[in-house]
Amino acid sequence: MTDDELEKLAQRLGARAAERLDVERTAEAVVTRLRRQPPVPARSWVGQGPWLKIAAAALLVVSVTVVARTPWRARPPVAAAVVPLGEDLSGLTAAELREAITALDQPLTDESGGLDTGLEGLSSDELRALLRSLEG
Amino acid sequence: MPHAEPVAAVPTDAALIAAWQGGDEQAAAELVRRHARALARFLGGAGACDADADDLVQETFIRAFRAVAKFRGQCRFRTWLMTIGGNVLKDAQRRSRRARVVPLGDDLRATDGDPHEQAVAGEAEARLAAGLDRLPRMQRDVFLLRAQQGLGYEEIAAALGTTPGAARVHYHHAVKRLKEHLA
Repeated sequence: MTDDELEKLAQRLGARAAERLDVERTAEAVVTRLRRQPPVPARSWVGQGPWLKIAAAALLVVSVTVVARTPWRARPPVAAAVVPLGEDLSGLTAAELREAITALDQPLTDESGGLDTGLEGLSSDELRALLRSLEG
Repeated sequence: MPHAEPVAAVPTDAALIAAWQGGDEQAAAELVRRHARALARFLGGAGACDADADDLVQETFIRAFRAVAKFRGQCRFRTWLMTIGGNVLKDAQRRSRRARVVPLGDDLRATDGDPHEQAVAGEAEARLAAGLDRLPRMQRDVFLLRAQQGLGYEEIAAALGTTPGAARVHYHHAVKRLKEHLA
């Protein structure tokens, strides 16, 4: 089959439907439908269907759950406060120093709650004692 | 009693569209009169049953008039209508899941002439329709707009949101596959 023959055959497709169409009646029907069905205002995305609503609700629940279960991580001020104060820790062994640093990395508890307030006011002996108490 | 003035002697599609946007229902009716048959041919070629043609044409015009503000004149109004018609047909086919059937007996009754020739012609059309049904939609639409509606690649590309070169490639792929199907 040549291209021309194919085109001629394609031009016959739908010819019967076009011939049978009552154009005037179709025009009247379209106008009547336009008159009876005024344009629907654009709906918000929430109104686009149940799936969007379900997805939005699920996302909200997951977000709230994740936020609620995430532990509150306060910035540990201890390390920042203590490191400059380590003026004479040379007496500590490596193991003791490691333990001290580990202890300082722990979240603050009620017992050590005073650490974030006024470490500057402690003397080096008091600081050393505090470190030892943290070890213990 | 006020008498409605005609829109114009030979108003352009653009003038009719503007008049419709201004509330002139007769402008909408005139656009239907102008383009309904061509649209029905396109839909028939794209796989619509003859019995569904009227409903599909109506639905296409309704959607087009509702969305006419989106028509920027990137192509002719008729070509734009056909792209909307393709979507309407796709939706209808998805709903009904009905296969396209070309009733051979209908062909024999509908026209005069040699029944044998009519039967052969009807069979060829049915095979072409079956081949078109197997094409990807872009290839099918490009083929119909080119071969059936006689549009140029520039116009087709503008309507389908592609480039003229890509439209040409789609057309040639469609022709190749249809010839293989018809061989």
